[in-house]
Amino acid sequence: MFGSLATWVPCLFLLALAMKFWMEPKGYRLRFATLKLILAAVALAGIFFSYGSLKGVAPGVSLLVVLMSLKILEAHTAREFQVMVMMAWVLCLCGFFLSQDFAIALCLLAAFALLLVALIQFHRGSSPGSFWSPLSATCKLLAQAAPLVVLLFLLFPRINTGFRFEILDARSATSGFPGRLSPGSIASLANSSDIAFRAEFPDSRTRPPGAMYWRGIVMWHCEGMEWRGPYAPTPIPHSSRLGAPGGRALPAQSSNGKAIRQRITLAPHGAHWMFALDRPFEAPPGATLANGNYLWSVPPIRKVRRYQVSSSPEITEKELQPHERQAALKLPASISPAVRDLAQSWTAQNSNPRATVNNALQFFRTNGFRYSLSPGEYKKNDLDEFLFHRRVGFCEHYAASFATLMRVAGIPARVVVGYLGGEYNDLGRFFLVRQADTHAWCEVWLPDSGWTRVDPTSAVAPGRASLDLNSFLERRTASGEMETRRSAFVTELTRSAIFTNVRLAWEAVSYEWDTRLLGFDADVQEALLASAGIANRGSFFLITEILVVAAALLVIYAGWMQLRTRSRSDRVKALYERFCRKAAHLGARRDAWEGPSDFSRRAAQLLPKESERIRQISNTYIALRYSPKSATIILDRFAKEVSAFAAHSRR
Amino acid sequence: MDRVCGWFSPPGITDPGYNLSIFPICLFAKGVVPTDHFGVTEHVDAFTKQICEVIVGKNQAVKLAVACLLARGHLLIEDIPGVGKTTLSQALARSLALAFQRIQFTSDLLPADILGNSIFDQGEQRFVFHSGPLFSQVVLIDEVNRATAKTQSALLEAMEEHHISIDGVTYELPEPFFVIATQNPQHQVGTFPLPESQLDRFLMRIELGVPDRASERAMLLGMDRREMLKELKPVFSIRTLLEIQDNVRKVHASSALLDYLQDLLDASRQRHSTGLSPRAGLALLHASEAWALMNGRDMVLPEDIQAVGIAVMAHRLGHDIEQSGQSGRTLADNLLHSVPVP
Repeated sequence: MFGSLATWVPCLFLLALAMKFWMEPKGYRLRFATLKLILAAVALAGIFFSYGSLKGVAPGVSLLVVLMSLKILEAHTAREFQVMVMMAWVLCLCGFFLSQDFAIALCLLAAFALLLVALIQFHRGSSPGSFWSPLSATCKLLAQAAPLVVLLFLLFPRINTGFRFEILDARSATSGFPGRLSPGSIASLANSSDIAFRAEFPDSRTRPPGAMYWRGIVMWHCEGMEWRGPYAPTPIPHSSRLGAPGGRALPAQSSNGKAIRQRITLAPHGAHWMFALDRPFEAPPGATLANGNYLWSVPPIRKVRRYQVSSSPEITEKELQPHERQAALKLPASISPAVRDLAQSWTAQNSNPRATVNNALQFFRTNGFRYSLSPGEYKKNDLDEFLFHRRVGFCEHYAASFATLMRVAGIPARVVVGYLGGEYNDLGRFFLVRQADTHAWCEVWLPDSGWTRVDPTSAVAPGRASLDLNSFLERRTASGEMETRRSAFVTELTRSAIFTNVRLAWEAVSYEWDTRLLGFDADVQEALLASAGIANRGSFFLITEILVVAAALLVIYAGWMQLRTRSRSDRVKALYERFCRKAAHLGARRDAWEGPSDFSRRAAQLLPKESERIRQISNTYIALRYSPKSATIILDRFAKEVSAFAAHSRR
Repeated sequence: MDRVCGWFSPPGITDPGYNLSIFPICLFAKGVVPTDHFGVTEHVDAFTKQICEVIVGKNQAVKLAVACLLARGHLLIEDIPGVGKTTLSQALARSLALAFQRIQFTSDLLPADILGNSIFDQGEQRFVFHSGPLFSQVVLIDEVNRATAKTQSALLEAMEEHHISIDGVTYELPEPFFVIATQNPQHQVGTFPLPESQLDRFLMRIELGVPDRASERAMLLGMDRREMLKELKPVFSIRTLLEIQDNVRKVHASSALLDYLQDLLDASRQRHSTGLSPRAGLALLHASEAWALMNGRDMVLPEDIQAVGIAVMAHRLGHDIEQSGQSGRTLADNLLHSVPVP
């Protein structure tokens, strides 16, 4: 949460707290107005220099934190303490400006509650060892506030951005996902645990089978070891779109109906790409389906975006447009003769493109290529170095070199960058895809099957395709094939079942928080209210309804309180009178002036068979009517006892 | 029904006075909820038992006297001479290790004789206050109604405020301060009846009465009372007594109980020209609290009010005797037997 604040701001706050503990017993305080003004000016200047501006969320929150720190040094009176608690509550709220994670929300709730404890403790006076009583009072207060919180959450009007504040700077919301595939650009993400997106499959309750290739961007432009996508992607013309009349056939209908619907919650990354399973055939609102069958958001994604998209793994294009073929065969001038010889040696063996592809994969498989997170530095033109000398690389090296080789061999090829795998959460039934799962693979045009996915990485590192990167690395480390990246203890810990389950549960809760709570925007709210029969019928109706409901609630509350306070003693008395009537029926009449204890003794003597019951009922009655503390439980017990007395005596 | 259980005197018939309370207090002594809420019952029981050994056969009166002490009230004992009034008060004082003074009231006694007076000290050339016998923790005033109204009134401030003022200077009386006064029945010769205001200062008025035959025999056979008094050991310290007195005020009086108490007060005011004063109401409450505490309860029951009711109310209602022709005792008894427990 404080990640977006300048480091010195929270540090100053902690320092002020520590100083206060030192200063207060000695009677030191920030007293002089001039000094205060100077300090405030210094703080202001510091914030200005840290952020370059005083506007915006982070400088504003920083200003509050800094002034709060100074207030701590200055404060001494009871009034100031209360002001500080109020200010601290405001700071809690400010925390949500910076982040709205579930974890942050929990922390802020704890902070909020502790502030309440402090306030209660403060007002009760400091008696040592009485921490629990203010704590229980706090819990009680929070529990009492809970229904109101729920009500406000459901009914409070939303500004159309939803419950999530979107005030944060877009600059901070960037992902590592590369727009340009250069050697090392994906390997550098392998350690990132940032969440890229989460996906659920509304149509199936289990994870879809097969490798999960999440298509992000298709790169056409080859520069040897480096590839890049178009700066402004051209959308697939509407006429040639799948399912459109005259266009390509919709796979969901043409093949065996294997369209996979996904609901994706994409973390903000500040760029345009959107992800879907290989391959999407329709674009969600606000996005286009770009040439190469990938999604492209029209506005940059600066806030969490939820969309639904359908993909089919079996899209087959029948023909390759000439300009596409041209683009898919374009090569840089720097291709060396050795590379050309290599490619030609494959085509010479067998002119069938499929055989060429297999030959190339065979080449990677047999020539001692290694899959490594740290393959060392490669330059843009280091294709020869990679292919013939070092032979160590990560997925981007294999994808880039393979696609280039295919183009040299005359097969149209392109590179696709996206994510591979992800972790399936059984509890929440969603896929969690992290930045570390970023992957690059190739697609080659085969005349009989159209664009076909070829993942050269799988030739080098079999098994990677069916796992997310972390699990894959885990296995490799476990089998000793790979150098370990973490200490033994951490590895052990992360492998333990409890840790995994807790992590999965936490992620599931966090996902629910993001989608259900933060995703509760104006539209969802209106839909909910409409389903509850409160359609938006104009303000007059609304106000009338609110007044009627409020009045009804007030009446119910007043009646209930009346009932609770008034009738309790009446009920006790009525029950006792019933008991007395029954006793009189049996022969022990109570005189009006006779106290319950005297009567109990006398009645017990008169009715020896019932003496035990009489004593018990009398004692309960006395406890209810005369003792300092009487609980509702006793009242119910009393009612039962009196009833039992009757039933018993009638028998 | 009364015949069946035999606990109640029929309303309206005055008991000769030997049985101080018409309610079966001894049966009730263990309490409904027999838990010792304040941890003092043991002390109080030992205390009561010790005094009962001296005053044989008067358990009820002794218990009332103890309740009066615990409720920080003053006690008036009215009876014929020779039934043990002085012995009771001395036993109380000795069992508590309290400073004890006895003042015999006579018709020529003056206020200065009991309060003390300022005497000119030749050596120091100033008036020095010499405190009178009232400066004690337990003060036994024997035959209080033999003194004139002037001397009786001198007691008023001391009893109510626990301090006295002489020559414009206020002197605090020691704590606890407990006045036990005895008086002879009104009809005896040479008595000045206590005014209502003075009577109201006494929390309770009890009557000892002559002991029953068996008790009297035990007394005749037993040791000399004076010897016994000398051998009495303090049961608990002053501090414990003060603690117990504090706990008396913590005994819970529920709203139902206060309803009953107020019903009693209202009834007395409706039936008699001058009913029970608010101070009488407080007295009734505090006495019942003490009674409840002595029975090991943390709450007052209507039975507690009834147990102390006659002792607290009778002397306050007694001045109606010319109007109604009934003694205060009878009036109090009638009240308790007619006001229903709500």
